[in-house]
Amino acid sequence: MDKRKELLTGIKDAVPIVLGYFPLGFAFGVLANSDAGMSVGEATLMSVMCFTGAGQYIAVGLLKEGAAAITIILANLLVNLRYFLFATSLVPFLKTVPTRIATLLSYGLTDETYAVSVAHYARFPATSYYLAGLNLTSHVGWIASSALGACMGQLVADTGRYGLDFALPAMYAVLLVMVVKRKQDAVVAAVTAAVCLLIAYLVPATMNNLSNVIVATLLGATLGVTLKK
Amino acid sequence: MRKEIVLLIIGMSIVSLLPRMFPIGTLSRFEFPERVKEWLSYIPAAVLGSLLAMSVLVRNKTIDFSLQNHYVLAFIPTFAVAVFTRNLFYTLATGIGCMAVINHLL
Repeated sequence: MDKRKELLTGIKDAVPIVLGYFPLGFAFGVLANSDAGMSVGEATLMSVMCFTGAGQYIAVGLLKEGAAAITIILANLLVNLRYFLFATSLVPFLKTVPTRIATLLSYGLTDETYAVSVAHYARFPATSYYLAGLNLTSHVGWIASSALGACMGQLVADTGRYGLDFALPAMYAVLLVMVVKRKQDAVVAAVTAAVCLLIAYLVPATMNNLSNVIVATLLGATLGVTLKK
Repeated sequence: MRKEIVLLIIGMSIVSLLPRMFPIGTLSRFEFPERVKEWLSYIPAAVLGSLLAMSVLVRNKTIDFSLQNHYVLAFIPTFAVAVFTRNLFYTLATGIGCMAVINHLL
């Protein structure tokens, strides 16, 4: 294994993630500072220790309304539960990485790093170096963009103007194409997406913690197992 | 830094990191049965299908299929490039470029 090459591949694969995080992290920093009254240090510490976009936005919204800490923590637990499923599905791929290292590096497991890494593991074996390059670079990007946003909290910038807000949807699109290897994968993806939207439509509150994604994914994978090869 | 904010961040950190680290730390020693492995193999397509649909179609907490939703407009060329090139860079460039043009013109 070429360690340097693995690390660099991980870093390179993180570039589009960092690009997508920039407007999200920046906006989080701005809101944390100007709306929720958090200092630059507090906003940055949250990005270092939590690394949960949805959860951090919830925290800012609830802090602004003066909610209790326990409410914010429970909302964060719900919003992060999907990672339990993601992490479990990564276990078979991570056999090639020492357990302790894989556990530590999964600090950096997010929707985006998950998507990029499963597309990578579909073609190459997992290594500690690749995982470190991908997850740490993404995390550093998240921390830097939120710190920058918090520093500029008072001058709210419109990041949407430059089209950067479409970076994440575009990334999901190409990653989906990459992980669809069998006809059944395409069926599962389409049905799961439809079920996910249907749940969101029927119970809009599920969109706040993405529990619709969890329920639809569980159903979708189960459908996959029952499909004829 | 205020003490209550630091405590809040620690609490959030625990509930954010446990679901990610616990399965990797504990389950890696087990070999899953074939049936479970097969089930897990569908998770990436299912998750990405859902996240893609949500990120394109949900605007301000409501589902919007119409072309008034700029994301739907930008999605069409972006997805075409994704399918034909299977290349992350070209797809991102198309997506961001189209979105910038759409936001500028509409």
